[in-house]
Amino acid sequence: MWLWYDWRAAAVADDAGNILDQEEWDGWGNTDEVCNRMDIIAHSAFTPEAERLLERFPDAQPRIHGDGELPNANWPLPSSEALSALDKAAKLLSKRGVDAAAGDPDRRLEHLSRASEELRASYVTLEGRLVEWVGLFLPEARFERDRAGLARKAAEANSLSDLAETLDVSMPEQGPSEKEWKALNDWAHSVGEIKTRLERMEDSIRELASSHLPSLSILLGPLLASRLCVEAHGRARLARLPAGTMQILGAEKAFFNHLKTGAPSPKHGHIFMHPWISRSPRWVRGKIARTIAAKATIAARCDEFGGEIWNEDNVRPIEERVETIRAENPQPPRR
Amino acid sequence: MIDGRAIWTRNAVPKHSQYGESLRRFKGIEYRRWDPNRSKLGAALTRARQTQYELLPEPGDTCLYLGAGHGTSLSHLHDHVCGESNREKGRIIAIDLSPRCLRDLIHMSKKRPGLVPVLGDARKHSAWGIMVANRVDWLLQDVSQAGQADIFISAVHRFLKPGGKGLLSLKAASERWSGEGERAVFDAVAEQLEQAGLTIVERIDLHGLEDNHCLYYITN
Ligand SMILES: C[S@@+](CC[C@H](N)C(=O)[O-])C[C@H]1O[C@@H](n2cnc3c(N)ncnc32)[C@H](O)[C@@H]1O
Repeated sequence: MWLWYDWRAAAVADDAGNILDQEEWDGWGNTDEVCNRMDIIAHSAFTPEAERLLERFPDAQPRIHGDGELPNANWPLPSSEALSALDKAAKLLSKRGVDAAAGDPDRRLEHLSRASEELRASYVTLEGRLVEWVGLFLPEARFERDRAGLARKAAEANSLSDLAETLDVSMPEQGPSEKEWKALNDWAHSVGEIKTRLERMEDSIRELASSHLPSLSILLGPLLASRLCVEAHGRARLARLPAGTMQILGAEKAFFNHLKTGAPSPKHGHIFMHPWISRSPRWVRGKIARTIAAKATIAARCDEFGGEIWNEDNVRPIEERVETIRAENPQPPRR
Repeated sequence: MIDGRAIWTRNAVPKHSQYGESLRRFKGIEYRRWDPNRSKLGAALTRARQTQYELLPEPGDTCLYLGAGHGTSLSHLHDHVCGESNREKGRIIAIDLSPRCLRDLIHMSKKRPGLVPVLGDARKHSAWGIMVANRVDWLLQDVSQAGQADIFISAVHRFLKPGGKGLLSLKAASERWSGEGERAVFDAVAEQLEQAGLTIVERIDLHGLEDNHCLYYITN
C-alpha cells in the first residue's frame, strides 16, 4: 500500500494503483499558505493531508509525488488554477531567497572589502603623485613621517608660499602658475577625500566583521579576518579550510607557480599582514604564520558553528607562544 | 524561425531586447536574433547536423531548465514555448543556485508569464521537485560544476517524461579530468549516459562558439 502526497493533496492506493482514500486541501488561494507548504515539503516533512491519511493507513508507505517507486494511479493532481497558485508561491519564495541574500554578511563583506581594496589602490597612486608633485616645488620638504598630513596641509593652503610656510621650508625660485597651483590644490583635496571615504569604508568592515567573525576578528583584527573570509568565498568555506590553506590564502598565484615550476612554496598569504608576522624577523615568519594559521582555523570554526566567542583570554596564550618562537630563534639559521 | 545561418524567435516582449540582441520585424511580427555566441542552446541549434528541428520543445510544452543563469537562452526558449502573454500555455521552471542570477530571472518573469524562476540547487530535488507537478516534456541542464553528468542523469530519471527530450550542456573544464584531454571527457560522459539507459540522439560539439563545451541530446 502506498501513500502518495504533494503540496495540496494526499492519496492512498494499493499496489495495483486503485485509490482507496484521498484528502485534498483547497486553501491555495492564499500564497503565503502555499509557501508554508512548500517549506514543509522542502524539509521532507508531511503535509496535514498526508498525516491524516497516515493515521488512517499506518501501513501505507509514504512517497512524495514523482517518486519512482509509486505505482501508476489516478492521483489527485492539481488543477491548472492550483498550478498557477503554486507558480506564484514559487516566485514569492525565490524573491524572499534573493532578499535574504542581501542580508548575507558574506556578500556584504565581499563588496565592502573589494571596494576598499580598489579605493586603497587609487589612494596609493594619487597620494604618491601628490608627494612627488609638492616635492618638485619644495625640494626641502620632508614628509616621510606625515604623508597623510601633507594632503590636508596642501588642501588648506591658499598658495604655494602659504604651504611652504606651514611646512617650514623656503620657496623655490620657479613656482607654479596660478592655475597650476589650483590643480595641485584640487589634487590634494581629492587625496584627502579618498582617505576619508576609505576610513569610513574600513570602519564599516570592522563593524560587520566583528559581528560576523567575532573570534577571528579578536585574533587577527577585523580587517584581516574579513579579507580571509572574502578570499575563501564566505565564512562557511573559510571554516572548513585546513590550516595549511588558511596560511597561504591570498597567495594562490605563488602557490600554483610553486606546483608548476617548483619555485619555493609560499609561506604566507594575507595572514602575512598580521603584525606578529610582518614585524618578526624573516627567519621565524614561516613558523609564526603556521602557528597563527592553525589558531585562525579554530577561531573561524567557532564563528561558523556557533562555538563560544573568543576574547582576549584566548588570544594571550597565542601571543605568548609567538613571543617564545621569537625568543628561541634570535639568529638566522646558519646553513 | 531559421533564416540562412541566423536563428530568430518571435519576441514575447515586443520592443524589448533582453541582452542586446537585435530585433527585426518581418511581415508585421517582431523577432529577436538568437546569438549563438552568447547562448549554448543557440550554439547547439546552429551546430546540430541532424536534429536542428527537434532540439527545441513544442510550443505549450512543460520544460525544466537547470542552471538558467541570467536567462539569455531562457528568454528565447520562453519566446518559443510560451510566447506573448503565454498564448501557448507553456510552462518553464527555471532553477538556479545564485541569488544574483535569480534577481534577473525574477525581473524577467514579470514580463514573461509561464516562466517560473526558482532559487535552488539542481542536486536537491526535495527542495523544488514539488514544483514539477507532472513530468516534463523537455529538460535542459547547464550547470557549471563538477559531477554534471550525475546531476543530469538523476534529473532525467526523476522529471523527464518517457520519450521526452533531454539536453545536457557539458563543460569539460568543470569535470575533474585525468589529463587525457576533452575528447576523453566527452567520450566518458557519453558512455555514462548510455549506461544509465539514455539514448544519445546527437552529440553536438560547440567548439568555436563555446570552447570546451559539448551538448548531448538524449531521449529516455
Ligand atoms: C553557464 S551558466 C548558465 C547560462 C545559461 N544556461 C544560458 O545559456 O543563458 C551556469 C549556471 O549554473 C548555475 N549553477 C551552478 N551549480 C548549480 C547547481 N548545483 N544548481 C543550480 N544551478 C547551478 C550557476 O549559478 C550559473 O548561473
